Amino acid sequence: MKIVVTMKLVPDPNAEKKIDPQTKRLVRTGVETVLNPYDEYALEAGLQLKERVGGDTRVTIFSMAPDALKETLRRALAMGADDAAVLSDPALEGSDVWATAYAMAHALRRLEFDLLIVGGLTDDSSTGAVPGALAEHLGLPCITNARKIELADRTLTIERETDVGYQTVRAPLPALLTTALTFGEPRYASLKGIMGAKKKAIASIGLAELSLDSAVGSDGSKTEIESFAPPAARGQGKTVEAPDAAAGASAIFDFLRERKFV
Amino acid sequence: MKNVLVYAEHRQGATRKVTFELATQARTLADSLGGKACAVVVGSGAGAIAQQLAPYPLDAIYCNEDSQVDAFLLDPVVDYLEAAASLVGASLILIPNTLSGRDIAGRLMVKLRAGIVADVVDFEIAGESVVCVSPKLGGAITTRCALRPGEFGIATVRPNAFQAAASGGTAKIEQLPTARRSYAAAIDNDVEEGTGELALEEAPVVVAGGRGLGGPEPFETLLKPLARALGGAVGASRAAADAGWVPYSLQIGQTGKTVTPNLYIAVGISGAIQHKVGMRSSGAIVAINKDGAAPIGEFSDLLVVGDAFRIVPELTNLIEKAKGNAT
Repeated sequence: MKIVVTMKLVPDPNAEKKIDPQTKRLVRTGVETVLNPYDEYALEAGLQLKERVGGDTRVTIFSMAPDALKETLRRALAMGADDAAVLSDPALEGSDVWATAYAMAHALRRLEFDLLIVGGLTDDSSTGAVPGALAEHLGLPCITNARKIELADRTLTIERETDVGYQTVRAPLPALLTTALTFGEPRYASLKGIMGAKKKAIASIGLAELSLDSAVGSDGSKTEIESFAPPAARGQGKTVEAPDAAAGASAIFDFLRERKFV
Repeated sequence: MKNVLVYAEHRQGATRKVTFELATQARTLADSLGGKACAVVVGSGAGAIAQQLAPYPLDAIYCNEDSQVDAFLLDPVVDYLEAAASLVGASLILIPNTLSGRDIAGRLMVKLRAGIVADVVDFEIAGESVVCVSPKLGGAITTRCALRPGEFGIATVRPNAFQAAASGGTAKIEQLPTARRSYAAAIDNDVEEGTGELALEEAPVVVAGGRGLGGPEPFETLLKPLARALGGAVGASRAAADAGWVPYSLQIGQTGKTVTPNLYIAVGISGAIQHKVGMRSSGAIVAINKDGAAPIGEFSDLLVVGDAFRIVPELTNLIEKAKGNAT
């Protein structure tokens, strides 16, 4: 069985995002590139499934990323993935959701898999539309937000979280899954894993190999960012010391009154 | 893109507030674009939802009570939306930015070869050009993103971004032809774990608790009565969810939900970046914390430094009194 896990490389989510007021661009200096945290849960799901299914099951990482950043994927290989494939091409720069999903789908088709696992959201721009778009391009059943995965006779039985509870969903392989954070914490890489990862292959895929029939990058995008700016600043807040509970409560009550919430 | 088409999300006949927000906003957008405003509602209970949508200013409501919609995972919804889009013609499609809405939008994007902008809180329309305003990077920046000219464009719209107003409804309810009967992903079991309370993302007021509450009980005894008095919902920080005090479905923040209520009250939450990105776009923010130097003070309109266990019941009582429910 072959499992492919998609991974996005994002700026460290624990670093506060700041916009340079001059260039109006995201300040990236001094911010480390890491695996999108949601995708680590997807990898954890893939690795657990590999352990359960056994045999010659392989877990391959797929990422669309600039070539210079691909070594970041060693961390995923150290966690236990078998190999990685990176779609990188300068022509992909500026791709929107449409162009990204289109290029990814074409590259993924070449990898031939039984199960595609995608992170629930991306940390840097949470459109959440990529998993559904990939499923549609690849003609796969799409089961999002999985918290429990069972596999028997090439049929998945998935417990997936909903807004109000959960659903049990059944679908045949090949299929696409996304994982919920309740699936379970991603494992840490062991020392042996880290050493072993150094020898694992990271293959590069270029756009030329994919014979796409429409453009990608900003030319192939269906949306265009016109401008971006910091949001309107919140006015200086007020602090009230309230050693006496009644004073604290009435300070809040007065505020709610003033803002017409009461 | 001339017309506007709203996906009326519901859960087996239980409405979602955001559906009415979109139905109202669709009219404004359609008037600017010079087209029609329509809605699609499908699945068990769709007829009743269509009736509830009728007072809103739409031109047509496309409806099908097909119970197969509830037997498969979203595939039928995507097919019905595609069918409605081809009936209505070139349009801007509004989908709630919810768990299901995001899945549907991505798939519809491919089917309709449409552009998509996510988490939209405002629109700017000039002629046939549609620019969508949405916060990105956890609210650190706001982008203005144009949908390039094309037959279809999709916007997933943040709940609470627009007002709902039931007036000027003249819509005809039209039957959509029934779609395919079978799909690969079948729903065997659908379980509601909540108690039918307001969905967190849609609540106009959120009262959230954190580590400072020390255990699960205060969520029931302190926060719930305050949320109820204000017509809101209870949320939590990651620390509280990780400790098992509340289910993860209540977690607000980077790895949880993003909420934008009109009023956010943070009780015993320090305000780490993890939490901040999930709530900082809220209307007004009030914090109660015993530590006057807690980071939450930096992005609150009001920080009260004191004992939440004593302040919250007093506050709830003041609000109930003002509402005429004195105890």
